[in-house]
This record gives sequence, structure tokens and C-alpha cells, in this order.
Amino acid sequence: MNAFIDFIMGPMVWVAFLIFILGLIFKMVLIIKDINARESYVYSYLTWKHSLRSIFAWMTPFLPQSTKQSPVFYSISYIFHLLLFIVPIFLMSHIVLINEAFQVSWVALDDGLADILTVIVILALVFFAIRRHMVPEVKYLTSYKDYLLLIIVALPFITGFLAYHQFFFYKAMVIAHVISGEIMLILIPFSRFSHMIVAPLTRAYMGSEFGNVRHAKDW
Amino acid sequence: MEENKSFDWSTDLKEVSVREWEDRFVWVEEPYVSPDGETIASIVNIEEGVFTVCENGETWDKEYDKAWNLRPLPDGKFAACVSSDEEWTLSISGNEWENWFDFIWNLQVNKDGSSIGLAVQKDMEYGMAVNDKPWDKMYDNINEMVLSNTGISAAVVQVLPMAQADIEIFKQGIFSCAVNGKPIEKKFLNIWDISFDSTDKNVAYGVRLDRVNYSIAVNDAVWDKKFQSVWKPVFLSGENSVVAPVKEGGKWVLYKDGQPFWKNQYNQIWKIAISQKSGNIAAIASDKFGKWTIAENDMVWNMTADQMISEFVYSKDGSTLVAVLKDKGFWTLAVNQKKWNLAADKVFNPCVSSDGKIVSVVIEKQGQYFLAVNNIVIPNGYDFMATPVISPDNTKILQKAVKDGVYQRLILSMDKIL
Amino acid sequence: MANEIETKDEPTIVKEKNTDKAVEAGLARLTPQRIKSTINQVLQKETGPRFKAYVETCMHCGLCAEACLYFLSNDRDPAYSPAGKVKQTIWEMLEKKGEVSTDFLRRAVHIAQTECNVCKRCSMYCPFGIDVAYLMLMVRRICHKLEITPLYIQDTVNSHSATMNQMWVKEDEWIDTLQWQEEDAREEFENLRIPLDKMGADVMYSVIAPEPKFQAGLLYQAATIMHAAGVNWTMPSSPGWDNSNMAMFTGDNEISGRIARAFYETAARLKVKRIVMGECGHAFRSTYDVGNRWIGWAMPPFEVVHALEFYHELLTSGRITIAEKFKKTVTLHDPCNVSRGRGLHDMAREVTNMMCESFIEMTPNREHNFCCGAGGGVINCGPPYKGERMINNKVKAEQLKATGAEVLIAPCHNCHSGLEDIVHHYDLNMEVKFLGDLIYETMEKKIYKPGD
Repeated sequence: MNAFIDFIMGPMVWVAFLIFILGLIFKMVLIIKDINARESYVYSYLTWKHSLRSIFAWMTPFLPQSTKQSPVFYSISYIFHLLLFIVPIFLMSHIVLINEAFQVSWVALDDGLADILTVIVILALVFFAIRRHMVPEVKYLTSYKDYLLLIIVALPFITGFLAYHQFFFYKAMVIAHVISGEIMLILIPFSRFSHMIVAPLTRAYMGSEFGNVRHAKDW
Repeated sequence: MEENKSFDWSTDLKEVSVREWEDRFVWVEEPYVSPDGETIASIVNIEEGVFTVCENGETWDKEYDKAWNLRPLPDGKFAACVSSDEEWTLSISGNEWENWFDFIWNLQVNKDGSSIGLAVQKDMEYGMAVNDKPWDKMYDNINEMVLSNTGISAAVVQVLPMAQADIEIFKQGIFSCAVNGKPIEKKFLNIWDISFDSTDKNVAYGVRLDRVNYSIAVNDAVWDKKFQSVWKPVFLSGENSVVAPVKEGGKWVLYKDGQPFWKNQYNQIWKIAISQKSGNIAAIASDKFGKWTIAENDMVWNMTADQMISEFVYSKDGSTLVAVLKDKGFWTLAVNQKKWNLAADKVFNPCVSSDGKIVSVVIEKQGQYFLAVNNIVIPNGYDFMATPVISPDNTKILQKAVKDGVYQRLILSMDKIL
Repeated sequence: MANEIETKDEPTIVKEKNTDKAVEAGLARLTPQRIKSTINQVLQKETGPRFKAYVETCMHCGLCAEACLYFLSNDRDPAYSPAGKVKQTIWEMLEKKGEVSTDFLRRAVHIAQTECNVCKRCSMYCPFGIDVAYLMLMVRRICHKLEITPLYIQDTVNSHSATMNQMWVKEDEWIDTLQWQEEDAREEFENLRIPLDKMGADVMYSVIAPEPKFQAGLLYQAATIMHAAGVNWTMPSSPGWDNSNMAMFTGDNEISGRIARAFYETAARLKVKRIVMGECGHAFRSTYDVGNRWIGWAMPPFEVVHALEFYHELLTSGRITIAEKFKKTVTLHDPCNVSRGRGLHDMAREVTNMMCESFIEMTPNREHNFCCGAGGGVINCGPPYKGERMINNKVKAEQLKATGAEVLIAPCHNCHSGLEDIVHHYDLNMEVKFLGDLIYETMEKKIYKPGD
């Protein structure tokens, strides 16, 4: 059992990160190869200018019409996506671990603040789940897989939160935290979480088709 | 270009004033020039509802209620579709055909001018007429009319009646290819692009067999293979073999007699040209999306055009292939892989000497017409120009142009141009 | 009316849907084997990474719903939301690996052909820019290959394939109609011509087949505008004159490409500098954006100028001058295919303001305007679906009504017909006009001479 835990807490972390990064790179390469082989015409329309124009327009809160029409959802979604990166990257305990391994460190969030932000992430996920259940047009599209995705994201934050506060089973909680984090990382390239890299591509293409060909905005 | 020998190559300049036509007539339509350049003609309006044709200042004896489709004939005469009392016929320099119709259109003339063909409609029945002889049998509809070099006429005809929006009968095939008015037995959903062989005994055409399958038919025999799409089939010179661009597995390939012919696949194989002399086969093709080129015997030219290659023609001896193309917003020519530096707004049909050594073409740039010869643009701009002619000995060019209300038939010496 | 909406929480899709004899006859001919192989062929062989990305990246967030005319008109029934339509078609085809029933296909063809205008508005509401219209067109392509495309639009495609025009207009009828309009227009402008096959003209003017078939007066108007503006123009007497393309909207890409080829080859044959087209949206989309691509033209080989852009040019250059501005209050419908499809919406406003005294903006507008509900081949599916279409266009009717304008300008044929239906059905008491109608009404009937 201890060997297993050592593995999970040690090498597996690096394996997860490798799968996450290499998986995304691999996916990107695959997509590009596939485009070259089957849809090379997209290069006739893609431009950096219109791609970036569209991506930045969509990253700007309340610029796109859609964001104006669903302000609550988008506000929560923007914050959620930001915190999804900020909290784990700037968490003191994560930085300490990285410093131990690589002797590098960077500025950390205040633990109290990080704690609040973690709660915000969890609440955002709860909001998404409730929205999935309550809003008819979302519910219509929802299957168990959509809830599963929410749970996969929620687990590292919930377990991290519980571990930090040491409410109960501290050690088990830490292990659960690490495992759930690893699962999430590993799943990113192989699930709809891959929208992390695919969405900018679809956005870029739509932005180019609209901007470059049709001389219109797409937001 | 044997026929050009009889042209007057020795008189440097002949002029016809066309400005005064504007005063004589209510309006003058766009001019046409005879092949020998001796005659310039326009449809003219004399008064409300009265039309005739003016050739070198002389009007035809006859006047008509309507006239359109004026075309010069190889013998120097002019033909037009004309109408009197709501009936239509062809008039050649004022001499009408005996047959009159409810409508005529698609005037076609074979190379030596011995045959003139029209699509005709009478009592809502459709057919063709060649040299004043209408088809014996008429049809519900007609499309894709062609006239061969020896005067054989062919078209796609509707052989079964179809009620409005009857897609079931359409699905069974209601169209046949008719040659001289006689339909070839087989019926198809669609027929396009009829080609004759050099003897005019055989026809080939593209067919659609059902909703998604296309093939090539030669006379009444359909190739065994089915394709995703097909373009115009062409007979190889002096043989019964037919080549056609076909789409297979999402790519275009050239087939011959139902078998793969060229090895390479293309994004597009657009159109085929065959040199009668050398037997070379060229295609307007696209190797890469959005880039056009020419593939000659399955070898791609070292040249691309990003917009269009609209036409191409072999010189008589097969040594030279001339393509009309549009690249980066402007029209130009490419001769044997080499682009000319024309940057024109319009490029008209090129004239190529028999030995391929001289290529001449009319271009338009900023509203003015110019003559270009072997990549040199002669600086004199004109208001209008017709297709030039190269003398049989390659020493002269016959330029047909209008400037300031005067038509000039000008013999240019090649020495001076080059 | 059929839009008695079921309970809000558990929306169902069992609402009575219309069908027609082509769909039914086609479905009756299908075998499970043919269904499966056709679906899998299209989804595996004819798609690529784009399709994959659209299907695999959608987070099922439902934000696209807010964009859709059908969703909003049907009391927010999720079955009408863009992603909801994808769920009912593509997702299930993928999940079942093509083994779907004829009942499923009846619903699928209904959704793809009559409950989506492929207007692409939803792509502007999807944070990822997923192209639901592309997915719906893929469903249409499958239906085309299975031969279950609705009757009336299929008949127009048949016409395209046989005559290269949409309405079985025979070749002589086309020329005859032009000559007849030319003669009529000479009552107004003595020497007016519709020059046929004039080689080397600057402009080839092209229209859609309904003009010679039903609305020859539009050819008359166009001829007077061209004549007054002193444009060096021509119209082809041969097939290739019709710029419409219904095959593009049934997924018959092969015929769609053939139409585009005939069109551009005609322009090349006539050696024109550019092509001006009448006030039609889908024809613009076909020639500018779709038909050309199947052939291999990344962009059209000729400059294609939509009528509204051309009018803008004539008015701003002074080739056409307005004698007296139009008095009634007008509003403007932005056709999807020239606003979202070409960004001409601001030009449309300038043209309108140059001609009209009182312009009332419709909201939403420009790229965000609602489709007329007729576009994308929906109206072309014909009478069997008209009742549903009127229900599906409720939001459009409300949008029009809110303007309170007397005249509704729609610079697109399909929009025009669709909006006429809406105005009639919802008793809106608006007059639907083309920009050309207004130019013809308000312009000075004199011939432009440079330097005047």
C-alpha cells in the first residue's frame, strides 16, 4: 500500500503531467496532420489577424453579444476558468513542492485568499451543475457524462479544500487530492476538456471565415 | 490557317468611318468584324421597332422588328437572328431562311462556315435547325446544343413529358442525347457536354445515372465505372478513345475508355485540350486548393494562377500551348509554362500561329483596348478591337480596331513590333 | 395551431410534423444497410478535423439557443436550439454508428431542411465558434444521398441540373423575357437596351430564375438603373445566367459545383470585368462563398458585387441621383448572406438613408439580425411546410412589428418572399420592397453623363 501511495505521490505526478502536456501536443499534431491531409483548404482562409481578433474579442468580458445576453453565466464562467489556472499554479503548497523538486519558485497566493478562491471554483461548478439541471435547453443536451466532467474538475478542489482544513482523514484526503488531480490532468487531452486547445482553433477558423472572407464580426 | 492566305496582306490601312452611323441611326449596337477584317457591322435601330444590320455603312435590304445575335461568318458575310410579325428566322446579309420559328437562339457556325446551326422553338416544341433544315422530330425541351465541324447537330432533349415537380419521373431519366434530331435510345437523369470525334460519327457525353452516380457515355454505351462527378469527355485525335476527368474518392483523375489513364490525382481537372498533331493531352487542373495550373500528359506546369485559367489552346503543330489566366486580380496569358506580364482587366481570345511562334491577343486595360504580341503590348490604345489574324508566313498581323469613330484594318509588320 | 408547447421542464419532440411525398417515397425505399453505409460514408469520408472538433468540443452549454429564431419562436423549446438539433441528428447518428431508423431520418430531414436556415447566427453565440450550419448541411447531404430531400426543393435542384436554372426556365423563355422587358422599358428610356452576350462589357448582370419566371418587372427595373447609370453591361443569353443554387442547400454538392462552374464560365466567355447580381442573398453565398469552393476556387474568380453594394456605388458616385426621397417610414432587414455573409450592412443603411426620409432601425440588426426564416432553402421546401414556417417565424414577426415602419426593405429574394408571408400571416400591414424598387421609384430618370 505504501509503495502504491509513494508511486501516486511521486512518479505518477510527473507521469500525469507528461501525459497532460504530451497528450495535448500529440492531439495538436494529430489535428494539424489531419487538416493537412483532409482539409488543407482551411489555410486559404485562416489569418492570424482575424483568428486573434476573434479569440481576443471572445476573451474580453461583455464584448460579445452572447455574453451580454447571459451575463451571469459568462461572469461565473470567466472567473471559473481563470481560477482553474490561478489557484493551483499559485498555491503555496504546490509551489513548495515544486521548489523542493526543481529549486524554482514564484509568488504565492495568500493561503486564506486561495481558500476563498477554491470555494469560488467549487461554487461555480455547483452553479454549472444546477444550471444543467434547471435550464431546459441545457438539460436537453445533458447526459451523465456532462456531470461526470464537472465532478472530475470539482474533486481536486474539494479534496484540496478538505485537506487544507484537515477536517478529517487528512492523509487520505491528500492522497485523494493527488489522485483526482492526476486523473483530471490525464483526461484533459482525451476528453472534451481538450477544448482547452481545440476551442481556440475552432474560434480562429470561425473568426477567419467571418473576418477574412465575409468581412463581418463573429461576436 | 490556310484560309488566311486569301486575305489582303498588302494594303497597309483600310478605314471605315463608323462615327456617322451614330447620326444615321437611332442607335448602333456593338460592332463585329469579319474574319478578313474587310467588314465591320452592327445591328442598328432605324426607328421605333425597326432594326437592320449596317455593314461598312451599307444597310441590309431588309428591316426587322427585332434583331440580335449578330455574328460574322467565315466567308465575310454576317448572320443575325431576326424577327418579323413575331416569327423568327436567320438572316444572312438580309437573306432569310425559308423556315420561320417562334424563337431561335444559340447561333453556331462550323469552322469553314458551310453549316450554320440554331436552336429553334415552334409551337412550344424544341429542336435544332442546320442550314435552314429543322430536325424532323421536335421535343419538350432542349439544352446543350452543339454543331460539329461537318455540320452534325446534337443536343440533350427531353424525351418524356414531366408534370410539374414530378421528381419520380425525373428519377427514371427523361433526357437523351439526340444527334441530327434522332435520340440515342438510353435515357439519363442528366446529360452534359456532348463531344464529337474527328469523323463526327461518334458522340461522347457526361451522364448522371442516379442521384449520386455519374459516368461517361459513348454513343449508347455507358462506361462500366461510376463516379462522384464527371466533366466533359473528349475524343483522342484519330481514335475512338475517349478521355474524361472524373471524380473518384474525392479526387479528380483522368480516365480513358473507362479505365484510369493518368496516374496523378488532382484537386480538380477542369477541361481537356488535345493537340491533333502531337497527341499531347493537356488539362486545366488544380494541384493545390485555390491554385490553378496546366497538367500536360500528367506533368504539372511550373506555373500557377490563383484565380482562374479560363481557356487554353494548342498551336496547330502542337508545339505551343497558350492559356488565358487570371492571377492576383489581373488577366494575362501563359505560353508554354511562361506567364506574360500583361496585368490586363480583360484578355480576349488569343490567336496562335500554326507553328506556335507567334501569339497575339487583344487586351483591355483601364477602358482601352491594346494588341499584345509575344508578350509585347503595342502602346496604341483603341476604343474597340476584334481578334487579330497572323499572316500564314508569320510576317504580319492583321489588326482590327476602332478609334475615334473610325474602323481601321491595319496590317502590322512583325519586324516593327518585335 | 401546432405550437401548443408542452411542459417547460420536459420538452418533447413529438409535435406533429409535416412531411411530403418525396420524403415518404424516399424513406419507403431505404434499407437499413443503405442507411448505415450512407451515413458512415458521409461522416467518415466526407468530413475531417473540423467536423471532429465541432462534435468533440461542444460542451453542451446551450448558449447557442439564444441565437436561434426557431428556439425563440417556439417558446424556448430546446428541441429547436442549434445544439439540440445537432443532438437529434448528428450525435445520434454517431452514437448508433449509422444504424438509425426511418422514423429517425424523417425527423432528421425535417430538422435539417425546415427547422434551420443555416444562417450561422448561432456561430456568433457559441463561445467556441462551432459551425452548426455546417453540421446541418452535413445532415442534408446524408438526406440527399438517401434521396429523402423534400419534394419542392428537390425539384428545383433537378431543374438546376438539367437547365442550369432553378425554375425549369427554357432557354428561349429566358431570352424572350429579356427582350420583352427591354421593349417595355423603351417606353421610359427610348434607346434602352438589355445587351445580350456583349463581349468585353464591364459588368455581367445576373439574376435568379424567379425573376424571369414570376417577377420580370425586376429585370425591367434593373435595366433602367443600368441604362440611367450608363453602365457598360451585358446579360448572357446562355445557361449560366442564373446565379441561384438550391443544390447548395440540399447537400447536392456536385450539382452545386456544376452550377457555380456554369456561372463563372459564362462570365469568362463574355470577358467581363466583374459580375453584378440582383438582390438575392443565397445566390451571393453560393457564388461568393460556397459553390466556388467545391470547384477549387478559394475565392471567386471574378469580383462578385451584390446589388446593394452596386447601388451604393452608383449613388455615391453620382451615376444615379435621387429626384425625391421616399416619404413613408422604412425599416431594413439585413439578409444573413450579405450581412453576416459579407458585411454589407452599413452600406445597406447608407443606401437606405440616401433614398428614404425616415429610416427606423430594427433590433437586433446588422450581423445579429434574425434570419427571415425563409433562407437556407427552407421556403423552397414549399407549401407542405409553410404553416410550420409561420410559427417558427414568430420572433421575426415581433421584431418587424416593433419597428412600426410602413415599408420593410429586404434586399434579398428569399427574405422578400419569407417576409411577405410573415407580414401576411401576422397581419403586420407592411409593404415589402427591394432596394431596387425604391431606387426605381425615387431616382431621376435621366442618363448619366460623366462630368454632369
